[in-house]
Amino acid sequence: MASIIKFENICKNFKVPQKAEGRFKMIKNFFCRKHRIIEALKDVSFSIQEGEIVGYIGPNGAGKSTTIKIMSGILTPTSGTCVIDGLVPWQNRKTFVKNIGVVFGQRSQLWWDVPVIDSFELLKDIYKIPDDKYKETLQLLNSALNIEDLLGRPLRQLSLGQKMKCELAASLLHRPKILFLDEPTIGLDAITKLAVRDFIKYINKEWGTTIILTTHDMNDIEALTNKIILIGKGRILYQGSFEKIKEKYSDEKTIEVEFAKDYNKVSLAGYKVIEHNLRFATLKTLPNTKFHTTDFINQISKKYEVVDFQVSSLSVDEILAKLYKEYEL
Amino acid sequence: MLYKNYVKMHLKSSFEYRFNMMFISVNQLLIMVGEILTVYLLFLQFESVAGWTFYEALLMLGVIYTVYSTVEMFARGYDEFPKLVQSGELDRFLIRPVNIHYQIFGSRVEFTKIPRILLGIVISVIALTNLAVDWTVWKVLVLIATYVCGMFVIFGLFLLNAGVSIFTIENLEFLNIITNGSKELAYYPINIYAKWLARIFTFIIPIACFNYLPLSFIMETGSVPMWLCGVAPLFGMLFVVPCLLFFSMSLKHYKSTGT
Repeated sequence: MASIIKFENICKNFKVPQKAEGRFKMIKNFFCRKHRIIEALKDVSFSIQEGEIVGYIGPNGAGKSTTIKIMSGILTPTSGTCVIDGLVPWQNRKTFVKNIGVVFGQRSQLWWDVPVIDSFELLKDIYKIPDDKYKETLQLLNSALNIEDLLGRPLRQLSLGQKMKCELAASLLHRPKILFLDEPTIGLDAITKLAVRDFIKYINKEWGTTIILTTHDMNDIEALTNKIILIGKGRILYQGSFEKIKEKYSDEKTIEVEFAKDYNKVSLAGYKVIEHNLRFATLKTLPNTKFHTTDFINQISKKYEVVDFQVSSLSVDEILAKLYKEYEL
Repeated sequence: MLYKNYVKMHLKSSFEYRFNMMFISVNQLLIMVGEILTVYLLFLQFESVAGWTFYEALLMLGVIYTVYSTVEMFARGYDEFPKLVQSGELDRFLIRPVNIHYQIFGSRVEFTKIPRILLGIVISVIALTNLAVDWTVWKVLVLIATYVCGMFVIFGLFLLNAGVSIFTIENLEFLNIITNGSKELAYYPINIYAKWLARIFTFIIPIACFNYLPLSFIMETGSVPMWLCGVAPLFGMLFVVPCLLFFSMSLKHYKSTGT
């Protein structure tokens, strides 16, 4: 498979005017401004293969939006090279953008007071989509997203979830090869979230669309992506499969134990007691302990009378929080 | 055509707020009527101002109203450029396979300006029918060029406004002085103002080129050579070129800063 997106040593600096306090400083500032340089991206390199779904994650302010804006040709980087589908995004803008679709989760591209279908028709003209192709695509999107009944209504009458569905459809009318999704599931209810995820998978499979999504919802990442790119403080910290990261943290278990009678003190070699309240205790594996159920049962039943216990691994969110902590983000 | 579709969309949106639209139109018309009355009262006091008669001044008012409202109607996107930047609409424009200017023009079409344009035309016609002019082909051409020049100059000012707003993130009110100030200056033949002011508004911001210079040509008055007065509107149109360049430069700056 050929790589469709290639990012090499991209740096992006922003010059930000320094805020001054005090009345006179403000006036002084107006005439000669001091600037501070913010390095939004530092030497960022990665490549994405055609047909992949890639999760682009990182805490707020890590540089995710900046990367998306560079990839979609809105911003030019300070240095570095970027080739997407054989083109440099910020050169030949008009040719380049025909092949991409972008959904900014919090900003709509549809007209507020006009029926959604009219916005679609305008996009048809903007992208010069031929009639038959437009009809075919619309029909497909209609049935996949179940939005046929919404199209006749103005955007302002739609719920957040309905809007997002229309938004997705709008950005796919011209069948882009690459789709950028900036927080596509933000604020959606459980059912719509699942529908949106299914749709993203469907489009990826049906059209082979390469999809890059940013999200804070780790379940999105788990459900959708083959690969994640973790960014923090403008640097790429990890790229590869999410499974690998999960494995790395899979040894860490939390065990909730219920005893048959009250104990005043609980301790177990290789485990840390997090909580203890007579009959109940929560244990955590120490860094060097490799959890094994049979061993654990043997070990604990020698000392205590156990009624029940439950083992859980770290949740996806906890893993991510750990990752951020590890990289000091 | 794409632009026709944009207009259709704006029409549909506007009709959702019919009453609002009507009130805005009426309100704006009332302001204009007030301004016309001011000019009228001024000329009731003084038969002529700096050698200009009431109908000559009225023609100037008619020109600026027609021209300014027309540009406002179609190029409002440039006027409201800071909004386009803040709302992320500009980012959207940059990821569409259509020329940026085309999209900015398409982003706003204000039908509430139509009554003002019509009033501007009516005033122009009233003034022209009351002026004793020996019409020649040249004079008709200069008159048409005056309106075209006015639109170019005002559009240029809008472009400047939009360009500057990219550099100054804050919405600076003083920018309005340039556009609105120029507009209100053009209510009268501008050679009635102090010489230095008239010079600035002839050579730097060429308001005079669609104001007293072509008026002098049509009325065959004034001290400026006639041929200069005649070509003034053509000279004024050139103003839009540096403005366009400045705007493109600002846009380039935007793409590297994203402010």
